[in-house]
Amino acid sequence: MTLLIGALLVSAAVVLFILQPIVKGLHASLDRDEDELTDTEARKRVALLALRDVEYDYLAGKLDEEDYRALKSELTAEALAALEADEAVRDGSDATAEEDLEAEIAQIRAGLNSGDACAACGFANEPGSRFCSSCGTSVGAGVAG
Amino acid sequence: MITLGEFALWVALPVAAWGMVLGFAGGRSQRGDLVLSAERSIYAVFFLLVLAAAGVMNAFLTDQFQYWYVASYSNRELELFYKITGLWAGQRGSLLFWALLLGFFSSIAVFGNRKKHREFMPYVAAVLQAVLLFFIVVLLFANVNPFEQLAFTPANGQGLNPQLQNYWMTIHPPTLYLGFTAFTIPFAFAVAALLNGRLDARWIQLTRRWILTSWLFLSVGIIFGMRWAYLELGWGGYWFWDPVENASLLPWLTATAFLHSIQIQETRGMLKVWNMSLVLMTFLLTIFATFLTRSGLIESVHSFAEELTIAFIFLGFMGSVLAGCIVLILYRLPKLRSENRIESFLSRESAFLFNNLMLIGAAFAVFWGTIFPLVAEAVTGEKISVGPPFFEKVNFPIGLVLLALAGIGPVIAWRRASKRNLQKNFFLPTAIGLVVAIGLWIANARHPLALITWSICAFVTAVIAIEFWKGTRARARIEGEGHVLALFHLVSRNRRRWGGYVVHIGMVMLYFGFAGSAYNVDERAHLSPGEMIQVASPFGHVYDLTYEGISVSVGRGQRNLMWQAIATVSVVREGKSLGILTTEKRQYVTADNLMTEVGVRSTVQEDLYLILSAMDDVNGALSADSDAQGIDLQVLIKPFVRWIWYGGLMLTGGTIIALWPSVDKKRLALEEATDEQEAEPALAGAGD
Repeated sequence: MTLLIGALLVSAAVVLFILQPIVKGLHASLDRDEDELTDTEARKRVALLALRDVEYDYLAGKLDEEDYRALKSELTAEALAALEADEAVRDGSDATAEEDLEAEIAQIRAGLNSGDACAACGFANEPGSRFCSSCGTSVGAGVAG
Repeated sequence: MITLGEFALWVALPVAAWGMVLGFAGGRSQRGDLVLSAERSIYAVFFLLVLAAAGVMNAFLTDQFQYWYVASYSNRELELFYKITGLWAGQRGSLLFWALLLGFFSSIAVFGNRKKHREFMPYVAAVLQAVLLFFIVVLLFANVNPFEQLAFTPANGQGLNPQLQNYWMTIHPPTLYLGFTAFTIPFAFAVAALLNGRLDARWIQLTRRWILTSWLFLSVGIIFGMRWAYLELGWGGYWFWDPVENASLLPWLTATAFLHSIQIQETRGMLKVWNMSLVLMTFLLTIFATFLTRSGLIESVHSFAEELTIAFIFLGFMGSVLAGCIVLILYRLPKLRSENRIESFLSRESAFLFNNLMLIGAAFAVFWGTIFPLVAEAVTGEKISVGPPFFEKVNFPIGLVLLALAGIGPVIAWRRASKRNLQKNFFLPTAIGLVVAIGLWIANARHPLALITWSICAFVTAVIAIEFWKGTRARARIEGEGHVLALFHLVSRNRRRWGGYVVHIGMVMLYFGFAGSAYNVDERAHLSPGEMIQVASPFGHVYDLTYEGISVSVGRGQRNLMWQAIATVSVVREGKSLGILTTEKRQYVTADNLMTEVGVRSTVQEDLYLILSAMDDVNGALSADSDAQGIDLQVLIKPFVRWIWYGGLMLTGGTIIALWPSVDKKRLALEEATDEQEAEPALAGAGD
């Protein structure tokens, strides 16, 4: 008898629990949360992390200057492309994008662009560089700073 | 009469089926109510499985021998501890326990994602319910119902195999099961990604924790099993390449490959199909492991053939999962195209890829070596055994290449390594490896395999130590921190990388210990009380082992022990007494054969391992006849075995570092961006 009552209680509880959403119209969300990364954001993040890694490898003395410059300019181009793609998506779909994110992107872009291409040889230099690492010509941004 | 536990199992069956169908339907139709119902059904199934497991445990604790399962794995005299662990002592309970753990992990995964990653969750819930449904079907319909009752109630049970009455044996299977079942979560997310078409690296990032957790439990579970074999089986080894061990090694190998290859997908957008295949393969191998160890297949193909239901259910499930996933991958192939290609053979990508090929090669060899005897027996009717020589011949070279890659991978450059990069980073470690090799040669430790292994160990250790040193130094210089603080910040800023290095150090320690077996000493002697045997260690010192005699204690069946005969041996090393070691023979009520307990004296350098192989006259010794005390003693000296257990600890520590929750992702991304800005002037300064 106890068993029967127990069994009935368990079954009833389980059935009620799983049927309630359908009967009462309770809905689970199926949309992406606002603070989750989108495809393009994820790409952007990966590009920035790759840049960080190269930076680390260079600072730790694992990459020499020449390898570092080559890799860095390659990755910088990729990161910029990812940033632009992300921005394009954002402009197209979601006008209410968070402002701090915009600021972040602007900041990163500034960092990637400033002191960039050398006027003489086109090499992508470090921000704040005074001379081009590739050919030695003085670089505008650095002189101004 | 049916009990509440069994009743719960029957209720779980339609609930799991319901959840599976509604999950798929809710995902396709994007109906939130169906999805919520599917998610709730997972909690419900977990609850019902808890009831079922509680039913089995209750039957063990209250000695209800009318259940076949309880009668076969317990008896009244069994210690309480082993009655509790009776839930996973045998096949039937294990399958229920497996389902229970899966229900637990599934509930955590669903609950943890109730507010995020919502576009994955309908299908995740559906896949998890499908796997749960499979195990419930097995439990109810494959003649393995733990609640099956006998026609009569025996007065007592048959008791538990004494070899299983060991601490390590009670934690070894659950640890492995945790690893196996945890891997179902990444698999479910992978299938969900195939179904909803979000095939970037997202499903990998979401499940990275699960993958690491699963890998950790698998690794630790395997090492627990080795420890059990070493202490309990009484032949002095920790790995014998038997099918049960291989079954747990297989998913570990593919999971390890997966753990490495996902890093390429995340950073370079490559190997997407490969990663899908690896997650599928690993999941199938976890199911295969249960199939192999818990279906009776290993004991004998013939007795197995009489129990075809369980085989059909397992093979049917594995077959449909395989077919379904292949169809899904083919369907999504356009979206799974690689975003990049490998630019050079000398690059970190290709090192990763090579690591994968080696691991898969090893997995294939182990798989083939494990099932070949079964296939052969089924076809020809003759038993063929594939012994350790086969596995060793194939896996030793592969293992050494993998070890070397653990040193090459961290310092070779992404994309393409220049000659300068290689010279810069490999000169010192290679030199250290060579110095160690020459040193070993001079010290007359010339066993080729051990010499090569230890040299590569030195190389890898050097690479990783230099990594830590360079990283700490760079950070200390840039941030102006002390070295300890710099090291701490270095690790906590990129736990994954540095945790991974610590795991590699753990692997180096394992290899170091494995290679010690090349210098194992094995001496046997017949001894009477008072006689001494001298055994020389490979390190040069000599042990004087004096057999002092045997003492017998006769039990009255408590803890199922009839009697135990304890041989006492006093140990003197180079004139210095090290106390005594004992080794035993035991007769249990519940086993026909005598059991051996070994005596181990373990140091960092070597283990002294005594085995009481045989007693001259068992009955004489039991009746305390002083002339009947002669024994056959086997003495093993096993260098560096302890390093294997320490390596296991190191590996655990490293994985926990990698798993440790880091600060909020977004804040981190922002910090990284600003940090880079800050780092650059410092860099320019350093360059001047």
